[in-house]
Amino acid sequence: MKRFVFGTAASFGLAAVIWEVFARSGLFSPALSPSLAAIVPALVQMVVSGTIFVHIGYTLYRILWGLGLAALVSVPVGILMGRYKPVERFVLPLVSVLSPIPSLAWVPVFILWFGLGNAASVALVFYAATFPIILNTWTGVRSINRIWVRAAETMGASGGELFRKVVLPGSLPFVIAGLRQAFARSWIAVVGGEMIAATSWGLGWVIFDSKEFLRTDVMLSTLVVIGILGLAFERLVFQAVERRTVGRWGMIRTAGA
Amino acid sequence: MFRPPTTLYLRRAALALVQLLFPFVVVAILWEGFAIFGPFPPRLFPRIETIASAFVRLVVTGILPLHALETLLRLAAGFLLGSLVGVTMGMLMGRYRWAEDLLVPVVSVGNAIPGLAYAPLFVLWFGLGNLPAVLLVGFSATFPIVVNAWTGVKAVKSIWIRAAETMGASDGQLFRKIVLPGALPYVLTGLRLGLARAWRVLIAVEMLTSVSIGLGWLIFGAREFLNTDVMLAGIAVIGLVGLGLEKLVFERIEKFTVVRWGMLER
Repeated sequence: MKRFVFGTAASFGLAAVIWEVFARSGLFSPALSPSLAAIVPALVQMVVSGTIFVHIGYTLYRILWGLGLAALVSVPVGILMGRYKPVERFVLPLVSVLSPIPSLAWVPVFILWFGLGNAASVALVFYAATFPIILNTWTGVRSINRIWVRAAETMGASGGELFRKVVLPGSLPFVIAGLRQAFARSWIAVVGGEMIAATSWGLGWVIFDSKEFLRTDVMLSTLVVIGILGLAFERLVFQAVERRTVGRWGMIRTAGA
Repeated sequence: MFRPPTTLYLRRAALALVQLLFPFVVVAILWEGFAIFGPFPPRLFPRIETIASAFVRLVVTGILPLHALETLLRLAAGFLLGSLVGVTMGMLMGRYRWAEDLLVPVVSVGNAIPGLAYAPLFVLWFGLGNLPAVLLVGFSATFPIVVNAWTGVKAVKSIWIRAAETMGASDGQLFRKIVLPGALPYVLTGLRLGLARAWRVLIAVEMLTSVSIGLGWLIFGAREFLNTDVMLAGIAVIGLVGLGLEKLVFERIEKFTVVRWGMLER
């Protein structure tokens, strides 16, 4: 633990020193590569005035709607694919053709269809999130130990019980892994989408807008916020969910601490 | 009755083909229905024949292949850059404690920031055009590659290393004959993820850094003129290229290296 703290401190310290040297080296003008002495006040100012929280709120609103809708649609689709062969035969070709298309390629089309603003961003997040969830859920259902299903059937489990007590928990590690991947992709999609489908709020939009005014200090502060939020979601939300559910049921080993 | 096996094969192949095509036919019918009866004007939601004819027109005039080639070159340059930096960093992190301590925190925060978020910054630093696009693609590809190379080196069995050391392997030999092949399955996974990420970022980057030719730019530019058919034809090509990269490039590399060496079962 001690080593971890020291290592982390040294790591960020070194990164800061390298940035400072780069910023003050005169390679780029200070307007383009501001020193920490300019970035930190910009960040503090955004926090104090509260604008950063509005931006965070908008971005989270879009990502949670998109991700939530995607989960609502994709988990059932994935389960049906895993349980019923005809569904798999129907959905799988579509998924394997659509999923290699980067979600951001759809931005211009979505802008035309949904207009600028929230709807386009939510649609984008939905597109980005849906395929990892479908594919992982499908794999999860297929990976369920056959013996569990047969045992439950032998003991007279009804269809509903079988689903609730065997299929759902059995595929959960994969479903969570899929949600995790989906979040990583949506995170990229939402930031990119906000830049291009310009609205007036959102973390991606701030960065893009600051370019017009050459406010590199604001850009870099926002980048830091994006990094911290992304990491927090990954570490706090997903790892916690994993530990509470599948980790506790002994289905996977979770990383300690 | 006896039936010659060839017709049986043919029947089976035909059945498989029908099964494969069936979902696309259904989607196409839905699309057509929506295009004709839906709320969007045909300019915004073109019928499939319009998209197909735009596709054919763009391919025949050589516009689409040209854009695709530019994009692929950019992808190759960025990915190469990212893999060189990424594999080197990951191997250092796996072999040396100090490198691990110093780099892991920075890499994990950096990994959580979408590469695309740096696009405006890169544009300010490096101007518009190819340079920021390639650098950004390389930058985004680096993270998954680093993380996997690092994990891979750490996953090399210490018994193998000790055995090699006991048998008097030099540092260089140890690296070439034990660490590198041992870590390769992970490194390849990292490269694959890196390429996928590079591909996803590149399309958007082309929209933001206004390169003069490229698939992303083609789609984005088409919006100005409401050429939805061109946009959708471009998206189709993007999907085909993405699918091709995955199936042709990586599955093959994997088969030729790690599967052959018996490190992964297939």
